[in-house]
Parts: sequence; C-alpha cells; structure tokens
Amino acid sequence: MLSDFTFVGILVLIAVLLPVVGLGLSWLIRPKKPNPVKQSTYECGIETIGDTWVQFRAQYYIYALVFVVFDIEAVFLLPWAVAYDQLPLYALTEAVIFVLILALALVYAWRKGALRWS
Amino acid sequence: MTLNQFLLLLLPEIVLTAAACVVFLLDMVWRRDEARGRWLPWFAVLGAVLTAAATVVVWPMAGTDGRPLAFAVGQGFGGDAIPMMALDGLAIFFKLFTVLVLIIVGLSAGEYIQKHTPFRGEFYALMLLAGLSIMLASAATNLVMIYLSIEFLSITSYVLTGYLRDDPRSTEGAIKYFIYGAGASAVMLYGFSLLYGATGTTDLAAIATALAGGSVTVHWLILPAMLMALAGLGFKIALVPFHQWSPDAYEGAPTPVTAFLSVGPKAAGFAVLARLLLTALPAFRADYWAGVLAGVAIVTMSLGNLVALWQSNVKRLLAYSSIAQAGYMLIGLAALAPQAESWTTGLNGLLLYLFAYLFTNLGAFAVVIAIENRTGSANISDFAGLIRRSPFLAVAMLIFLLSLIGIPPTAGFLGKLFVFGAAVQSRMILLAVVGIVNSVVSVYYYYAIMSQMFFGKAEDEEPIGAAPIMRLVVGINAVMVLAIALYAEPFIRLATDSVQMLAASF
Repeated sequence: MLSDFTFVGILVLIAVLLPVVGLGLSWLIRPKKPNPVKQSTYECGIETIGDTWVQFRAQYYIYALVFVVFDIEAVFLLPWAVAYDQLPLYALTEAVIFVLILALALVYAWRKGALRWS
Repeated sequence: MTLNQFLLLLLPEIVLTAAACVVFLLDMVWRRDEARGRWLPWFAVLGAVLTAAATVVVWPMAGTDGRPLAFAVGQGFGGDAIPMMALDGLAIFFKLFTVLVLIIVGLSAGEYIQKHTPFRGEFYALMLLAGLSIMLASAATNLVMIYLSIEFLSITSYVLTGYLRDDPRSTEGAIKYFIYGAGASAVMLYGFSLLYGATGTTDLAAIATALAGGSVTVHWLILPAMLMALAGLGFKIALVPFHQWSPDAYEGAPTPVTAFLSVGPKAAGFAVLARLLLTALPAFRADYWAGVLAGVAIVTMSLGNLVALWQSNVKRLLAYSSIAQAGYMLIGLAALAPQAESWTTGLNGLLLYLFAYLFTNLGAFAVVIAIENRTGSANISDFAGLIRRSPFLAVAMLIFLLSLIGIPPTAGFLGKLFVFGAAVQSRMILLAVVGIVNSVVSVYYYYAIMSQMFFGKAEDEEPIGAAPIMRLVVGINAVMVLAIALYAEPFIRLATDSVQMLAASF
C-alpha cells in the first residue's frame, strides 16, 4: 500500500520539478536582448489585428449546448455500434429511444429559435 | 428475471419520463396557443397521477426481506449485471412521496406561473424531471447512481430557481444555489471516491461487506469520506453549516418552486443519507455518525430557529423554518433504536415527519401563493387581517402553522412525537431537550404570522378571492394534516413498513 503511494509521490515530485527546473534554468542562463518583434504576440506568424481581449458574443453558449446533444449521442452510440452484432433486439430499441429523447432536445432548441442568429 | 419483468420494475420512472417528454412536446406544439397552453399543468398533474398508478402496480413486487429486488446495469446483455437501484419499501415510500409533491405543487402553481412568465411548458416538464430525479436518488444503491441522480436533481433545481429570468432576485438565488451546489457535489464526489478507494466497490451493500471482512486496511479514510458525503447531502437537505444558499434561493425562486425545493430535495437527501449510512456504514454508527448527526441536528435546529425570529418576508421565514424542521428530522436518523425494543425506531419517525411536513409545508406555501397572487408580495404584513379578508385561508394557515410548531391534533405533532421519542429511547436526552426547547422558540415567529392574520389591521380590507383550485389544494392539505394526526395508524404503519429492510441492517 505504502509503496504504491511512494510511486505517486515520486511522480508528483518529478511533475513539479520538471517544468520548474527547466523554465528556471533557462531564465537564469538565457541572454536578454528584447526587440519589438520578439515581444509581439505570437499567434500564427501573421501580425495580430486589433485587441487581444476580444469579447465573444454570449449567445455562442447556445450553440455549445446544442453541440452537446450530438456529442453525447456520439459518445454513447459508438460503443453500441461497435458491439452491434452481438446485442439483442432490446439494445436496438434502447438506442432508438435514446436517440429520440435527444432528438426531442434538438427539436426543442429549434422551436425556441436557438438556431437562428439574430 | 427476464428483461420484461425487469423493465416492469422501472415502470413509475418510465411513466414519469414519458410524461415530462409529452409536456415538453405539447408546449412546443401549442407555443402560440394561449388557450390550449392552460392545459399544460393538468397534463403534468395527469402524468404524476399515472406515475402514482404505476407505483401502485409495482408495489406488490417490492422486496420485503433479504436483498431488495434490484435494477441492474447490463441486465439482459449477458455477463455480470451491476445492481444500481433497489425496489424496496423505502423506494416505494419516496415514489409515493414524490408523486404527492408533484401533484400538490403542480396544482398550486398554475396561476402564479401564468402571471409571472410566458414560459410555461418547461416549468412543468422540469418539475416532473426533478421529481424523477428524487425517485431515482431514493432508490439508488450504488455510489455512481446516487451521485448522478443527486446531480440531476441539483441541475433541474438550479434552472427552476432561476426561472424568472427578468427578476434579479431569482437569478441571484439561482447563481448562489449553483455555486454552492457545484462545490458541495464536488466534495461529495470526492468522498465517494475515497469510499471506493478504500473498499474497491461502489455498491453500498458490498461496501459494508468489504468493511466487515477485514480486507480494508485504511479504516481511517471512512470518517473523512463520510463527512464529505454528508456535506453534499447536507447541502441538498440544507443542514447547518451547508445552508447558506437556502434563504436567498428560497426568497428569489418563484413561490411554487420554493415550495417544491423545501420538500422535494430535502426528502431525496434524507433518503440517500439513510440508505448510505445504514447500508454501507452500519458498523460505524456508534463510533462516527450517530454523534456527528446529533451535533449537526442540534446546530441546525438552533440556528434555523434563531435566525427565523428576525425575518419579515414569509418566504424567507419559511426557508429558515424549513432548515429548523430538517434539524428535527435529522434527530430520527441520529437516534436510531432497534425495532424490537420500541415503536419509535427513529427511521419511521423520520419518514412520518417527512410525510407530515409534506402536507404542512406545501399547504403553507399554497396559502402564500394564493395571497401573493392577489397582493403581489409575501411579507408578514400582507397577512394582516387575513381572517376578515379570507377566513378560509386564515384558518387553513393556522392549521399549518400549528403543525409546524407541533401542537396536537396536527400531523407535525405526530412527527415530533416519533423523532423525540426515538431520541429518548436511545438515551440521547440532550437531543430531545434541545429539540423541545427549539420547538418552544419557534412558537414566537409562527405566532407573529398568526397574530397578524387574526389581530392585524390590513390597509384595505378587500376580500382575497382565491381561485377554486387553490382553495381545493389548501383544503386537501389542511384535511391531510389533521387526518394524519387523528387517524394515524395507517400512516404509522406505512412509515414503519417502509423502513423494515433498512432497519434490519443494524
């Protein structure tokens, strides 16, 4: 029991030390010659346009929520599909009911106009 | 057991799920149809009634001795099935309990919801789903199932609390509830993970076997795990010190939701707590949890009552009073007594108290809703001169308040008799004395409402005409409060039978 936790302890220790030592050491021995190009924000090699702190529209969360419907569907249907040829008819019914309930959620969002961008 | 029999055991839950889906669908179809939209509450109530019928159908199948009949994940697929839920007396009791809550709240919510928000269908559908989660939680015998159903209940409760989107207090209450809830459920989940880590199983009965078997080397983990689980469930029940969210959430939430929150989640919390402690940790009763629960009960009763003394808003007052009531109920769990020795086993007191509290509190809230529908607010001053404005509501409220205090001949008296009796039986005299002193203290603030109703002078003495349906709900609750006390025998037997299996485990 104790030895198992010793390994966890060692792992934690290494996990903490590795970045601290690496970053600390390079901070100590690196040359410091800043210029404007070096200090600019790096995103993808192209110069950034506008402020970094862009506000996203809060309405995006509805899309995220609707996405979750499909996400969950995929997560649960994948193992079902993989084992499909060994499952009884009951499992097929179960999956259909599951999809129907999720579809209800989607239809609900649709009817409420969540998919319309205003 | 074949698959069909197995699904039959789940009938109440299946019916309730279908009812919630139907209400959702009807709401979508009737979105622009005001006249038909008025039928939605009735569909929700019909769904609850059908669920009650389904519960009666499965009742005879409930396990009575030995291991309860269980629903298992993986049943019918070959291989090992993992038991997730039990169908025993306790589960049946809480199914009936939930259905009653849904019917009473569903009937009394109509006018209020109509007035305050254009979104109606979701309200009833969410309420049915919250009811479903209470049923699942009270039947769950596996840590994973317990966590999922409690989380299900929490999420639906958050949405219902913040249902009035344009009302800042409703939103504030929901945010507070949500933040506390997220913390509490994380702590509870961590506690469950410790239990699983120590015993290697998530099944409650198997945890007890593992702990008794001597294969567990880390017994010291049990106390922190138990305390963490208590934090999560104490949050649902609103026990001190996990109660801070409740006054704000209760005051901000739409009043029918407050009524639901003050009864439903509390019941679920108590059901899970009783099952968890008695099935998984019966061996630690004397050493650990009887003492902890007794301490929490004392603090909860005292703080709930003392703070309630200063409230001027009736919803807030009832929030603190419901904290105190939860404290009294917890006595039943702290002071368990073996059934062979007495008629008060603590557990049956807890259920009886919950049952009495169901009608009392929902009745009191129905009166508050009826008055709020007419006056627009729920301060104690709105109750002034109620006896002249609506004698019916005033007399009904008097009955509910007497029951909350615990004065015979009301149901609250019977509940208190049984839990205090259990405390005396198991030689926890201090607990009984604190409970009685607190009941006396509580008279003060309940009396404040009474004196306003009967001796206060209203600004306008215009009669309050409650809708017929509200009168019906208030009337039924008042009759039940009296009936439970005057014709107590079947209710006592129901409570005692329901806990038979759990009580046998210690």
